[in-house]
Amino acid sequence: MSEQLRESLSALMDDEASELELQRLLKQLGNDAELRATWVRYNNARAVMSGQEISHPQVDISARVRQAIDGTPAESPSLRERLFRPLASFAVAASVAATVVIGGQQLAQLSGDEAFSNGTVAAGGVSPVGMVNSLGATTVQASYGTQSVPTLQPAARTAYRELARQRMEMYMQEHAEHAALNSPHGLIPFARVTEIRE
Amino acid sequence: MIRYRNRAGALRRIAAVIAVAFAPAVTAAAQCPEADAEAMQWLDKMSRSVHQVSYHGVVTYQRDGQDMQVMQVSHSVGDGSSSEQLTQLTGQGAQVVRVDHPLDCVHPGHKLLRLGEPAQGDYCGLARHYRFRVTDGDRVAGRKAVRVLITPRDMYRFGYIMDLDRKTGLLLKTTTVGRGNQVLEKFQFAELSFNKPVPDSVDINLVHQAQHPVPSASAQPATLSLAWQVGWLPQGFMATDSQPANAGRKTFTDGLAVFSVFVEELDREIRPGEGMFREGSTTSYSRGLSLEGAPLLITVVGEVPVNTARMVADSVDRVR
Repeated sequence: MSEQLRESLSALMDDEASELELQRLLKQLGNDAELRATWVRYNNARAVMSGQEISHPQVDISARVRQAIDGTPAESPSLRERLFRPLASFAVAASVAATVVIGGQQLAQLSGDEAFSNGTVAAGGVSPVGMVNSLGATTVQASYGTQSVPTLQPAARTAYRELARQRMEMYMQEHAEHAALNSPHGLIPFARVTEIRE
Repeated sequence: MIRYRNRAGALRRIAAVIAVAFAPAVTAAAQCPEADAEAMQWLDKMSRSVHQVSYHGVVTYQRDGQDMQVMQVSHSVGDGSSSEQLTQLTGQGAQVVRVDHPLDCVHPGHKLLRLGEPAQGDYCGLARHYRFRVTDGDRVAGRKAVRVLITPRDMYRFGYIMDLDRKTGLLLKTTTVGRGNQVLEKFQFAELSFNKPVPDSVDINLVHQAQHPVPSASAQPATLSLAWQVGWLPQGFMATDSQPANAGRKTFTDGLAVFSVFVEELDREIRPGEGMFREGSTTSYSRGLSLEGAPLLITVVGEVPVNTARMVADSVDRVR
C-alpha cells in the first residue's frame, strides 16, 4: 500500500478526503488486500466504539458502491468546479461511501482479526472503556491497577473522548518538557499545560 | 537564469543583515533547488538567537476561544551557559525555570533548523516537508519583523506564520495554522527588551525546574514490560532523545512540530476504540487495543493534526 493511499485512507476516516482521493481509494480497494485490511482495522475501532453490532449479512457491496459512484458522470461538476468546491460537500459523500463499503468489507475480514474479533469485544468478562473516572477525580496511572474501575455504560465514544482529554492533561507537561527543548519557542510550550506541577 | 539572479539578489539582501554562516547558504541553495535560501537563513538565525540572545519580555498566548494568557519570559546568557524562566502573570501563577543550559547543547529540534548541523544530514531537510516564503512582517512589540510563511507540503503537519525580529532573528510571534487556514494558536511578544535585568515583583505560586533530557543518554528508567516501537513516522521526524524500547514515552520532532507517544500497559481488557481531544494546536489521541493479548492504551500528544496522531498510534508494534 502506497504512502499516498495510506494518507487518503486516514483522511477518509476523518471525513476529510477529497473526491479524487475517495475515487482512488475505491478503485484500489478491489485489488489491494493490505489496503482493505488497514481500512478494516481503522474502522473496527470506530464501529466498536460507537457500540455497533457487527451483524450484517456477509455481502461485499463495495463493488456496487463503486459502481454507483462511477455511474453518475452526468451530474458530475466540471473539474474546475470540483477543485474549487468547498471540501465539506465532499466529506458528506465520503463518509456515506465509507460506511457502506466498510459494512461489507468488515465482515469478510473481521473473523480473521484476533485483536478485534467479536469475542474480544463482546465477551462478558471484558470491561468497557469505563476506566475513565468522569466524576472529576484526579487521574493517576495507578487507577488502572489498584482501584476498582467505574463502569460507564453506554457512551463508549464519549468515554474515549474523555480518556483522550484526561490523557492530554496528564501528559501535557512531560510533552512540554521536550517541546521546550526541540521547538523554536523556548519555554513557551509550557503555556499549553493546564496546571503546571512541581 | 532568472531564478539564479533572484536568488543572488536575495542572498545579497540578507547578507547585509546576517553576518554568520553565509557560506552554507550558498551550498544549500545549490543542493536544494526547492529550498528558499533566505528563509533557511532566517530559521537558522531564529534557532540560534533563542539560545544566544539575552532578552526579557511579556508574551501573550491565545488559543481557541479561551482567555488570553500573559506571561513573562526572560533569557540570560552567561559564561558558556544560559538561564531562562517563564512566569505566568495570569492564571495559575506558576514559574518554569531552567538554569545552566550549556550553549553548546543543541537538541535535535534545533539541529533540524540549523544550517550545516550533522543531524540534518543534508540541508534540504526541512525544505522537503515545508514551503517557505519570506515577506515583510508587521510590527511586533514595537520591533520591525520579517515574516516567514511556512506551509506544509503534506497533511501530517500544521502551517506557521512566524514573525522574527529583523535585528536579532528572535521569534516574536507565531501563528499556528490548521486545515482550511484555521488559526489554532498564537504566541506573541507584547513587550521586549534586551540585556536588561529582570524585574522582580511577581507573586509566584509554584516553581518548576524544567527537565533536561540529554539527547544521547536516557534519563528515564525503563517502565514497561513491553518493548515497543513506532513503525511509522511522517517523513522528517526524528526522536528527541534516546529511549529504551520499553520506555513509557517517546518524543519526535521535525524541527517545528513535536509530538510524544505514551504507552500504558493495562491490567485488564479495554474495549477497543479511539478518542480524540484538541486544544489549540495540541491534539490528544488515545487508542485502546490489544497487542498480542496485552491490553494497551496508546496516547499521542502533540502539535500535529489528528490524522498524524492516529497513524502513529496505529503503527505502534512490539519489538522482539
